[in-house]
Amino acid sequence: MTIGVKEVKLERTAADQIFLPAILEGLVTTARHFFRNTFGKGQPGIDTIRYGEPDVRTEDYYPDRYRGVHRLMYREDGTVRCVACMCCSTVCPAKCIYIEAEDRHDDEEKAPRLFVIDELKCVVCGLCVEACPCDAIRMDTKTHMTAVETREEAVLSKIDLLKRGAPSVAVQGGLGPDYRKLQPDRDPRFPGA
Amino acid sequence: MSHHLRPTTAPRPDRTATLLAVLLSILAFVVGTPAHAADAPAHFEPKRLVFHPDTEQLEVEVVNDGPAPLRIDGFELTGPERHAFAVAEGGDATTVPPGGRHRIALRVERGAFEAIDEATGRRTGKFREGRARLRVKLREAAGAGSATDQAIGLPLRFEAPSWVSAYLVPAVVKVLVLVMLFVMPLASLLTWLERKQSAMMQDRVGPNMAGVTILGKRIRVWGLLHIAADGLKMLFKEDLVPARVHKALYNLAPFLAFVPALAVFAIVPFGDALCYGQLGEVLSQADVDQCAAGRGGTPLQVAQIDVGLLFYFAIASLASYGTTLAGWASYNKWAMLGGLRASAQMISYEVAIGLSIVGALLCYGTLEPHALVKAQSETYWGIVLQPLGFLLFFAAAMAETKRTPFDLPEGESEIVGYFLEYSGMRFGLFFLGEFVEIVFMSAMVATLFLGGWTLPLDMFGASGFTSPLWAQLFFAGAGALLVLVGVSALRASPHAEIVGIVLTLIGAIHLALSAWSIFTGWGTALPHGLVIVVGMVTWGVKVALLCWLQLLVRWTLPRFRYDQLMKLGWRGLLPLAIANVVLTAVAVYFLMPGKDFLP
Repeated sequence: MTIGVKEVKLERTAADQIFLPAILEGLVTTARHFFRNTFGKGQPGIDTIRYGEPDVRTEDYYPDRYRGVHRLMYREDGTVRCVACMCCSTVCPAKCIYIEAEDRHDDEEKAPRLFVIDELKCVVCGLCVEACPCDAIRMDTKTHMTAVETREEAVLSKIDLLKRGAPSVAVQGGLGPDYRKLQPDRDPRFPGA
Repeated sequence: MSHHLRPTTAPRPDRTATLLAVLLSILAFVVGTPAHAADAPAHFEPKRLVFHPDTEQLEVEVVNDGPAPLRIDGFELTGPERHAFAVAEGGDATTVPPGGRHRIALRVERGAFEAIDEATGRRTGKFREGRARLRVKLREAAGAGSATDQAIGLPLRFEAPSWVSAYLVPAVVKVLVLVMLFVMPLASLLTWLERKQSAMMQDRVGPNMAGVTILGKRIRVWGLLHIAADGLKMLFKEDLVPARVHKALYNLAPFLAFVPALAVFAIVPFGDALCYGQLGEVLSQADVDQCAAGRGGTPLQVAQIDVGLLFYFAIASLASYGTTLAGWASYNKWAMLGGLRASAQMISYEVAIGLSIVGALLCYGTLEPHALVKAQSETYWGIVLQPLGFLLFFAAAMAETKRTPFDLPEGESEIVGYFLEYSGMRFGLFFLGEFVEIVFMSAMVATLFLGGWTLPLDMFGASGFTSPLWAQLFFAGAGALLVLVGVSALRASPHAEIVGIVLTLIGAIHLALSAWSIFTGWGTALPHGLVIVVGMVTWGVKVALLCWLQLLVRWTLPRFRYDQLMKLGWRGLLPLAIANVVLTAVAVYFLMPGKDFLP
């Protein structure tokens, strides 16, 4: 293979040299956008989410699987669903969840005495929600962590997390290892399993 | 996804009806102003003669309005000061055909009004005022038997206004009107429009949050009140002066950048002339010309100086001191480099900008902007006679205002500029000065190339539209455009209800005027005040559209590299400007009427 010189010539016509046709073309394009956006319905397919407008609920714009600020769910009797199994704090890659367990005094489960999430450390990966066997922790609040004055304000306690919570009617602890047999119609992927 | 938008609420009918009634009554007042008193068979042009000590002889024309030839029998001067005036020319009995004109020259003996010092017996040079009246006796020459004698009168006035009342007070009022009611509002509007227009061009939303709450209703007219918010922010920000700056020059520089930009507005004519006390009357061009000369009125231009455009170049070049000194006095090498770039660029382009208007000066033969506009309305607009000059001037003007694609002195996105060390309102002065310069450049382009306050095709004169058809076309076109803009504004944005309603209403009034003109032929005899308003609005619309165009260019074109900038200035614009001058000179030499007078 021989090495040669490839000459590339920049083809510049007289119209290019005097700039004006190209300038006019550009002006027409931008002016078209200007008039369409100012006096018309705007550019099709472009819609701006008007954050901060007082009459706009940003929640309406988020997809259902959007991961927002954490919350803790209740049982039907109003107590926290969390059983302090430490799954979430174990799986958390940012190590932002701190849990201390206590006795629930119902001969079944534990409960968290402390449940603290440092939202400044959180990387919003959602693994805690995946790991939770009790549907206790969720990230479906569709709200951002708002700006805070001090770091302490961004560390959410159990009370803060429960304030955002709601009752969950999922079976506590799941249905156990035999869940496919117990409720065969719940998962269409495993018919008659 | 527009469910988050508030539905556009229709205006409440009661309020709209009230507004409509008020506007219609104003309209009826304007339209119903009496036109010519049609009982006299002839009228004078101008309607009154105002003499000054330096104008001893003035001319007036008798215009025959009637269908029959008029016989002028004689002249008679009445009034207490009649002995000071005399008919110099055209005083013989003559016959004026229908539609014809008869010219009369009148003289004043100014010595009759001059005060004499009692102690020394010398003339003091101080004059008192005096009034008289010229009566012209007319007879219809057609019917020999029906010799109905009629007479028309012409008020004569001798005035010797002091410097204060002739120049200073009108100038101050005009400065206040022009600067406070037009330039500064438009310049501050541009600070918002620059961001909003760029947003509209780039499919964004732009600034839209600032607003006021009146009676519990949040009014956000497209975020228009950002200009007030920005101004307040500038005023209340900390004014930080770095430690080792050159104090005096550092303080002086913002003013050198801002003051010349405002001072050059002195030569911009924003209307023809204002005649004192005749706002409700229908005037002719002769009346307005007399007022434009300062007798009985004042030209709508702060300073009518013969070297107007030279004054502009002299003052505008001071602005480059502002940028250079700001860069030098800041004790910052980046600011210094920015100031160097600014001064090199401004000086380079001042050469091109100066030469690019020489062609226009050759065509119209004057340096005085008011006369330039008059010359354009009598022949053709500058953009027709000087298309290349227009392009060169516009390009060089954009470079003078230091904006994209020529914003190398302070490219706000990348290059640190000459006002790097300025903060607070000092920076605000640089910022606002730039926008004032945009307004001024637009005003200069409008004055030099787009006929100033005049409408094209000779459709609008001193007494109104030249034919009812022009009035109908003008009002129908303007009304349709305003209604279109207003309705689309109403439909496009929920924050533009008020603007949309007002624009639609004004447009509807224009359409109503057009219809009114179709039925009555209205529009050819407008009161002087309305003519002035139409002229000023025409001028304002031209300037605003040119500002819009400059912003459009600024947000369309990318920035030049520095060598490209210099190449364009010295090897592009300058030779073209010289070629334009030479070609224009040759063309003017061969085509100008009366070229035989040239050697």
